[in-house]
Amino acid sequence: MDANVVMVESQDALLAPQVLIELHEVVKVYHSEAGDFSALKGITAMVSRGEFLGIVGKSGAGKSTLLNMISGVDRLTSGEVRVRTEGEQISVHHLSEDDLALWRGRTIGVVHQSFQLLPMLTLVENIMLPMDLSGRYQARASRARALELLQMVELEEHANKPPAFISGGQQQRVAIARALANDPLLIIADEPTGSLDSVTADHIFELFQQLVEKQGKTIVMVTHDNSLVPRFTRTLHLADGSLVAPPTSEHAVGAAADPTRRRFSLFGGKRQ
Amino acid sequence: MRPRWRKVFLDLFEHKGRTLLVVLSIAIGVFSIGVISGAYVIISNDMSASYAANQPANVEIRMSDFDDDLLAAIRNLHEVGDAEGRRVFNMRVRSTQEDQWVTLDIVAVDDFATNVLNLLTPVAGVSAPGRNEILLEQEAVEALRVQVGDELVFQLPGGSLKTLTVVGIVQDSLTGVDDFLAPPCGYITLSTLPRLGQAQTFNRIYASMAEGQDDVLHIRTVADDLRERIERSGYMVVRTSISLTHEHPLASTVNAILGILLALGVLIVFLSSSLIANTLNALLNQHLRHIGVMKLVGGRNRQVFVMYLVLIMAFGVLSLLLAVPLGGQGAYALSAYIAEQLGFTLQGYRIVPLAFAVQIAIGLLVPLVSGLVPVVSGSRVTVLKAISGDLAREAEAGSGSRGRVKRETGWERFQTRVTAALARRGIQIPRPLLISLRNTFRRRGRLVLTLFTLTMGGAIFIAVFNVQITLDDYISAIGRYFLADVSLDFDRPYRLSEVEQLATQVEGVVDVEGWLFLSADVLDPDGMVVENIDILAPPADSVLVSPILVAGRWIQPGDERRLAISEAILAIFPDLQPGDLLRLKINGHEEDWEVVGIFKFVGREGILAYVPYEYIAAVSNLSNRSYSFRIVTTQHERAYQVMMGERLDSCFRQNGFHVRQAQAGLATLDKASESLDILVTFLLIMALLTASVGSMGLTGTMSMNVLERTREIGVMRAIGADDRAIMRTVIAEGMVIGMISWVLGVILSLPFSLLLSSIVSLAVFETPIALVFTPTGYFIWLGLVLVLSAVASIVPARNAARLTIREVLAYE
Ligand SMILES: Nc1ncnc2c1ncn2[C@@H]1O[C@H](COP(=O)(O)OP(=O)(O)O)[C@@H](O)[C@H]1O
Ligand SMILES: [Mg+2]
Repeated sequence: MDANVVMVESQDALLAPQVLIELHEVVKVYHSEAGDFSALKGITAMVSRGEFLGIVGKSGAGKSTLLNMISGVDRLTSGEVRVRTEGEQISVHHLSEDDLALWRGRTIGVVHQSFQLLPMLTLVENIMLPMDLSGRYQARASRARALELLQMVELEEHANKPPAFISGGQQQRVAIARALANDPLLIIADEPTGSLDSVTADHIFELFQQLVEKQGKTIVMVTHDNSLVPRFTRTLHLADGSLVAPPTSEHAVGAAADPTRRRFSLFGGKRQ
Repeated sequence: MRPRWRKVFLDLFEHKGRTLLVVLSIAIGVFSIGVISGAYVIISNDMSASYAANQPANVEIRMSDFDDDLLAAIRNLHEVGDAEGRRVFNMRVRSTQEDQWVTLDIVAVDDFATNVLNLLTPVAGVSAPGRNEILLEQEAVEALRVQVGDELVFQLPGGSLKTLTVVGIVQDSLTGVDDFLAPPCGYITLSTLPRLGQAQTFNRIYASMAEGQDDVLHIRTVADDLRERIERSGYMVVRTSISLTHEHPLASTVNAILGILLALGVLIVFLSSSLIANTLNALLNQHLRHIGVMKLVGGRNRQVFVMYLVLIMAFGVLSLLLAVPLGGQGAYALSAYIAEQLGFTLQGYRIVPLAFAVQIAIGLLVPLVSGLVPVVSGSRVTVLKAISGDLAREAEAGSGSRGRVKRETGWERFQTRVTAALARRGIQIPRPLLISLRNTFRRRGRLVLTLFTLTMGGAIFIAVFNVQITLDDYISAIGRYFLADVSLDFDRPYRLSEVEQLATQVEGVVDVEGWLFLSADVLDPDGMVVENIDILAPPADSVLVSPILVAGRWIQPGDERRLAISEAILAIFPDLQPGDLLRLKINGHEEDWEVVGIFKFVGREGILAYVPYEYIAAVSNLSNRSYSFRIVTTQHERAYQVMMGERLDSCFRQNGFHVRQAQAGLATLDKASESLDILVTFLLIMALLTASVGSMGLTGTMSMNVLERTREIGVMRAIGADDRAIMRTVIAEGMVIGMISWVLGVILSLPFSLLLSSIVSLAVFETPIALVFTPTGYFIWLGLVLVLSAVASIVPARNAARLTIREVLAYE
């Protein structure tokens, strides 16, 4: 299997404190009338704290499925996903539905391609929602925090508008602010720039970069845009549900474009 | 407000129309239950309280004339608490302005000031008449159309006229209260009796028990004892009747009727909950993405569940705010109305805690129960499903998700085949209608619920009309037991041939029959009197009586000591069968009579028996003579009967006959059908409420259909359909649903009519009666359902037509 070729399991790495996410032989099979379909064929990988990890691959490669395995939005067929949260190792797929939701709300910020803001709530309220649901902040504190986050994404003047009144790029910034609401360790983004024009997309991408650089967040982002590869600290390539070695040309281009990232490999590691 | 609760709050007002529909439909159910249960409590309290407050006599004895001595003797009996004598007789009366005669029961009271039994409640004017003055019962005031101060003209048996002045109006909650065939009453003093040609003596005793006023057995024993004593003193007792102090004789009837209304109220609640289930299902379907988002950012099942639970409870609370105050008012208004009709007084406005609690419970439970399934399944949905829109796509039947082609269902195949078959026979269903039809059947669960509500409403509606006709039919059947087109009564017997000869000279008279009446006591095997019966003696081959026989045969010429008796006898002798002997006491003689047949009548009107005229005339030395004649005329309409009554009356008076009264056949029955009309009106109101819930359900369904079909409407627009075409499709769909529900309603109305008529007839007549059908209800409902379904589709249709292509494309 391809994955075995590129992945080498390292006991040390599993135990290392800086490791945030561990995926071990994750298999996802969809059952349907047309027959079974393996969307993930045994993925083993790990993500360290402070990484800006890109997951790239063609449409249908299983990228979204992989993200869903990490966030626990969907259940895996076999394997194991562990996330180190506040000193504990959480085995995501052993949590009950409700515990999982609570854990996700507090630990992971999720950003979707189609923003997923609630249309009837104002922007601040949308950002307050995760705080409300997790019960982590008092009502008053949560509003202040939401406004702060809005300020960070430079949308404070639209605080009391519903999402329909702002542009797509602005909506995605609100979604990012919402993802930060509970101050999570990890942000998971599924093609967050997929439905934006290239200028706006670049803005959003920079915002993510800043989150990694300035706030030390860990981000796992899915994209099918190979040109972004050089800008991640590390990239996983998915094809047909398996991790593969990066197509050499692309890797070369990426590496050439940003020599500081040359040393990052599939084996994980930190920025120097 | 926390964003969670703000979302719930905004959801409530997101679609005002939808919220309004749900709130109204819960409110209608809560309102009707509130009104009926409130009225039930108020009436069952106040009816008997008001009855008892008027000091009803426990025993009433109709007898031959007597004076103060007998009364004093009765008062001295230690079982008797109080006793009073009165004189009751009837007379033809009219106001000086009108020439329509009304038969009035006139009650002469010894002393209005000291009277302690069967009290009258003053309504207007004075409460005690003087000499040559009269008080009128409210009903008499209505019938005679007079006011305090007016003069009344009385026709004495000899034909002479006398006048009395109306000095007051009273309410008599006791006399004739359970006899809807009883004439209205007027009250005079004994001193006025001579003016009306009456002896200044009593002919009725009213007595109350010293104790055990609510003990039937005790009262019956005392009554039997009284009767014996009176008979031993040489008087003749015509009839004894007993009643309890604290039980209104109509209490059980009114309760039974309120029970029927309550059952319909429960049905409305039931139907409105199916409407709510429909709406909440659609709402949660639309909200799947919201639920997904909330779960994605950390919302737990329970949190989502509670949010939607609060939302549906809010529907309940809103409808309670609307329905509880209205229901309280309605309950009192209904009670006041029934009180007025039955002639009792209420103890004043009040809130009935029980009704209040029931309303709140229903208002909260209905949305809870009907919304629980959609809310539970909605809050359990996984993030993945909710966000990927799998469900939404699956719901949009026809478009297979993930590129898979959806298999054609059996139903769709059936539709296609039917359309094809029709087309082969040259029947082309217009395109838009075809689309409507397909749409109609697309959401089958929703269609079934909508059809269910509309059908129930329709079935009840139709049933109410059938029941009305059935009741009317039975009332006139009952009338035919003792009434003809004109009933002519004299103050002394006349030869049949004599009356017949004169009557047939009057134009329009077809037939004349001489009838006799007598009263008898039914004795039990120990010789105790158990009941009075009225015996009617028409000619054995009378064309006037068309009995509804339950067992045995009708009377025949040559029957001697044989009778046909009404069903009510079975309450005393449940095993009585034709051929059995019944011990009767007639005019002081005890005799065994053979029962030849049992027939239907109205239970509460007492027991009726028929014996051939020929036999009674022979044994009472009245051969070929009678006091009472039944006349058949060429036409049977009310106006004609009244006219013939007047004509016969004046004709016989002119020829020197002592006419007591000439009464048009249906006159006595008016009061009866009037009170039944009230009942029918209530039933109709309930049916309309049911229908309105049904059409709200249809409006809801149509709106949901339109909303879910936004994209399809956009496509229709894009291929050139104009506003009217789109509206027509939506309205046609509504009408198709309406028509289907009509057909189903017609079928379902059969068992409903049967059920409703048997419940009502048991309550009112104390016997089940045969169902009669009328096309009226079917046609009115057809018109109504078409109008309702058109109206219910108009708003959704307008909304559909207003959608622009841009909005349609933005819809997701
Ligand atoms: N719920 C599902 N049922 C069946 N097949 C699915 C489901 N979700 C995804 N798939 C299939 O799994 C594969 C991977 O999907 P996905 O992870 O969404 O791909 P990507 O995000 O890389 O485009 C695709 O071929 C897709 O058709
Ligand atoms: Mg994807």
